[in-house]
Amino acid sequence: MSGKPSTVPLISLRQVGKSFKDGQVRALDNISLDVAPGEFVSLVGPSGCGKTTLLRIINGLIAPDEGTVAVLGGPPEPGPDLAMVFQSARLLPWLSVQGNLEFVLSLRGMGRSERAQRAAALLGAVGLREFAQAFPHELSGGMQQRVGLARALAVEPKVLLMDEPFAALDAMTREVLRHELWQMWSRRRIAIVFVTHDIDEAILLSQRIVLLRPRPGRVDEIVDVQLPEARWQSDPRTLPAFAEMRAHLWSRIHDMVRDGAELEELAGAFPADDSPG
Amino acid sequence: MIEEGRAARARSVRPEPDVAAGLSSSALAARAQQQRRHTSIVITGAQIVLVLLLVLGMFALNATSGNLIMPKPTDILDESIQLWSDGTMLQALAESLTVIGLGFLLSATTGILLGIVLGGFPLLGRVFDPFVNAMNSTPGAAFIPLIIVWFGLYTEAKIVVVWNAALFPILINTAAGIANSNKDLVEMARAFGARRFTLFWRVMVPDALPSILSGLRIGAAISTVGTVIAELTMAQSGLGGLLAAAGNRFQMDRYFAVVIVLMALGTALTAALRWVEHRFSRWRVSQREEA
Repeated sequence: MSGKPSTVPLISLRQVGKSFKDGQVRALDNISLDVAPGEFVSLVGPSGCGKTTLLRIINGLIAPDEGTVAVLGGPPEPGPDLAMVFQSARLLPWLSVQGNLEFVLSLRGMGRSERAQRAAALLGAVGLREFAQAFPHELSGGMQQRVGLARALAVEPKVLLMDEPFAALDAMTREVLRHELWQMWSRRRIAIVFVTHDIDEAILLSQRIVLLRPRPGRVDEIVDVQLPEARWQSDPRTLPAFAEMRAHLWSRIHDMVRDGAELEELAGAFPADDSPG
Repeated sequence: MIEEGRAARARSVRPEPDVAAGLSSSALAARAQQQRRHTSIVITGAQIVLVLLLVLGMFALNATSGNLIMPKPTDILDESIQLWSDGTMLQALAESLTVIGLGFLLSATTGILLGIVLGGFPLLGRVFDPFVNAMNSTPGAAFIPLIIVWFGLYTEAKIVVVWNAALFPILINTAAGIANSNKDLVEMARAFGARRFTLFWRVMVPDALPSILSGLRIGAAISTVGTVIAELTMAQSGLGGLLAAAGNRFQMDRYFAVVIVLMALGTALTAALRWVEHRFSRWRVSQREEA
């Protein structure tokens, strides 16, 4: 797979649609999207636009009702090529931090001693070496999420799928982890599909932003982020390009919310709020 | 969370330095420890007072109503020493422990295995649900006549009585634990490529462990009850048999000596299982505290 030229998309979605509750709730409609190897793409949009559903489809956890999905040239399948980072860390509470990393490595069929070595090295990389034997509940939320990231990196994925990974953290921890994520990405250049509802975060981190509209989730606009590559050397939030982009995306979202208010009145018959994503 | 709390404390302390300056953290810890020790002394003291009152009450009742209604605590003590020294009590205890132990072991293994199967295969679980519930809601003693007909009156029949009584709470707790295992963790493991077998044994079963252990604790308590009932109603043996024999001859001091051993046995069993439960589900306890 790695021998392929970078022009071939790593992830390719064509006219993907998905409904829930026996077709009553339309979660995704006609989504077409490509992600190139090494690309950092953010999916942004208000709640109810099916961001998480889309991520699950890419991961192969659920199948779309319509359209085709190709990941690494084949149908998506959960496995080591795709690693997921969730909003809550989702660590196995009965295993130590090291045990959690070794768990996913064992799913790849890696031997015991290699697993231990690998887990230790990764914990060093995310600055949690001293916490290898700690249990998840003994860590703060930020540290747990760091373990979640280390776990995802441990399997050496070709694609990292991140579902609002920093949304539940406090502002300071979030800022630190964003920086770390960006540094990791610029070193390793694995493709990242990053779901967030934070516009600033999307602009700050990604190369491309896919703006989604809610009910049903559709692609509203795909925007290339034109910011200097060395983004964290100085804060890009002070750049005029950043402010411009932010203003543009927000105006689109305000439009959506206005439309959405009308739509919601029409769709009042369905309990659409319970739909995943 | 911890970091936030610490930061908040640091901030709030600054405007009132005398609060922080007065006590170092080690002094605070020492004071908290002293407080805890004080509380436990009060509790133990109250419990000793209650035991003394109980013994005095027994003496009083004995003085007013006679030996049949309430034996003298000193006579109970004498009888206990007698029973323990001539080996009667030890033999009865061994007989009872055999029934409790084997019955509990049997119900634990079958209950956990069946519970895992019924919890892990929801369709099977739904098919068997009414039958399991019907068996669980029927008092174990109701099956004793049938068990006597099928298995006789002796140890093996008593073990069947215990097994039948303790099986269902263990089975139901195990099945519920597996069926309600954390969906987020299951999805996580699936996303990383875990197959059915791995998902089951390395995510769902460990996640259900606290629930399985509470099933075992309930099962152990029921095993004790079942053993005594079996020993009273089938061939008299063990502590239950001793109890019945003493009661039938109105030897109330002897009777009380046996009851005390039964109390100690039940308490020890439950305490041991509670300890195991605590040991294996520490993470769950601390999660609950956080929430």
